[in-house]
Amino acid sequence: MNKLETQDLVKRFAGVAAIDGLSISIEAGRITSIIGPNGSGKSTLVNVLSGMLPIDGGLVVVDAQPPLKSIRPSKAPSYGITRTFQEVRLFEQMTVLDNVLVVLTERNLRSAFFERHRAHHLGQAEAVLTRTGLWGKRGDLAVNLSYGQRKLLEIARVLAMCATSQAGIILFDEPFAGLFPQMVKTVSSIIKELRNSGITAVLIEHNMDLIRELSDHVIVMDSGRLLAEGSAAEVLERRDVIEAYLGE
Amino acid sequence: MEILSQLIVNSVIAGAMYALMALGFNLIYSVTRFFNLAHGVAAAAGGYAVFYLTSSLGQNVYIATAAGIVSAGFLGYGFDRLVFLRLRRRKTSSMVQLVASLGLLTSVQAVLAILFTNEFQTFPAGHTLYNVLGGAITGTQTAVVASGFFITLLLALILRHTMFGKAVNAVSDDAEVARIVGIDTDRVTGRVFFMGSAIAGIAGILTGFDTGLGPTMGMGLLLKGVIACIIGGMGNVWGGTAGSMLLGFAENFGIWKIPGQWKDAISFVILIAFLLLRPEGMIKK
Repeated sequence: MNKLETQDLVKRFAGVAAIDGLSISIEAGRITSIIGPNGSGKSTLVNVLSGMLPIDGGLVVVDAQPPLKSIRPSKAPSYGITRTFQEVRLFEQMTVLDNVLVVLTERNLRSAFFERHRAHHLGQAEAVLTRTGLWGKRGDLAVNLSYGQRKLLEIARVLAMCATSQAGIILFDEPFAGLFPQMVKTVSSIIKELRNSGITAVLIEHNMDLIRELSDHVIVMDSGRLLAEGSAAEVLERRDVIEAYLGE
Repeated sequence: MEILSQLIVNSVIAGAMYALMALGFNLIYSVTRFFNLAHGVAAAAGGYAVFYLTSSLGQNVYIATAAGIVSAGFLGYGFDRLVFLRLRRRKTSSMVQLVASLGLLTSVQAVLAILFTNEFQTFPAGHTLYNVLGGAITGTQTAVVASGFFITLLLALILRHTMFGKAVNAVSDDAEVARIVGIDTDRVTGRVFFMGSAIAGIAGILTGFDTGLGPTMGMGLLLKGVIACIIGGMGNVWGGTAGSMLLGFAENFGIWKIPGQWKDAISFVILIAFLLLRPEGMIKK
């Protein structure tokens, strides 16, 4: 079953199409990698699907619901879509623990004022921070974390959204960039665990070894269009894909 | 020694009043990133609500005060829902929102003048004097000081220890990411407008009891609150209150030796000095 579909999706910047009539399907509970040379429209696609950029044409279908002509940023989570960023974006002046707690707790007025953190929210926060190796840093301000720890905290935040069933589709925008090998292992095993728990992961990545290791399905974009799709083994052998990457 | 005590008492009173304006202004600024000039008229509206309820309807002063605070809160909330929310959704600049807030300030001031005339209105309040450390202070001024400190503390506790506070901090930090992770930023901002404007309402009501009400009183109150925020640190609860106290002390100790007409000039000299030498304010967020 398709979790997410785009139909003739278009996004233009000053008249130039960064996404040019893209129609793709993302299957539920699988890891779909989107690859392509720089400027092929991968990050623009993530920005459009997460509601950070308005859609200029075409439709987005989530969970076989009625097609959407636009996704507002505030609406993306209600469709179960969340994301990580190529350049990590955290709540910098909040502690590591608060960065996670703020996405965990119910937000009705009574809970917001009087709940503080109920024990089970703290338990969930502890679980995701322990999984990402950040529980020991829970009292530190996010701004004081190292680059790798910041990437992990962003993933912890996504895990927290999944733990409360707020997210069913996660768009990972280059989650491995700049990470040490040990952290790469941690992140890749987290992404596999998410897939095993039924979460749909969309991975933008340049590291072909990781693409081969993680992907159930690979979509290749070039100049905002679909160039190829299939299994990693099939797609990465194709001459047109190699040419697009090498610019031949 | 007696003069010194009175100066300290006067400084704390002025600082607490500025803090009441600065707290709400800073809170709203922290999530919207624009200077909400309409904050001033929320203060005036709170004062006039109490005036109307006590003078025209003969309501109990405590009930009227509570109603005045809530009215000011709803006025600010209404400003957000009717004007600022729409402007945010159109992604208008901070400058456009500031101009819109100036329009709201002017319009509501005009409505207050039409309803209550431009004449100065006073509350039937007693002015019993108390002696604190050798300085005289009225009951209303005691309430100003108590409110200033209590609300600073309460707001700091809410922002630090409640989920609402964490959501406010998240929106203040990065509203776009807050939306991505499922925080309803518009709802948080609406509540912040309510809270901030209600606090301004307290300032307006206490001003009414202390010195009286005029339709344009909000601008004067707001000006000192804004200066206090800038010198204390924008978007920071403790910064706003620290800036207010610095302003209160500088003004009152300043006019000890120089004519009282220079009081406002002292505030602006401090403001310019901070803008040049420490633009991030006393307490950096």
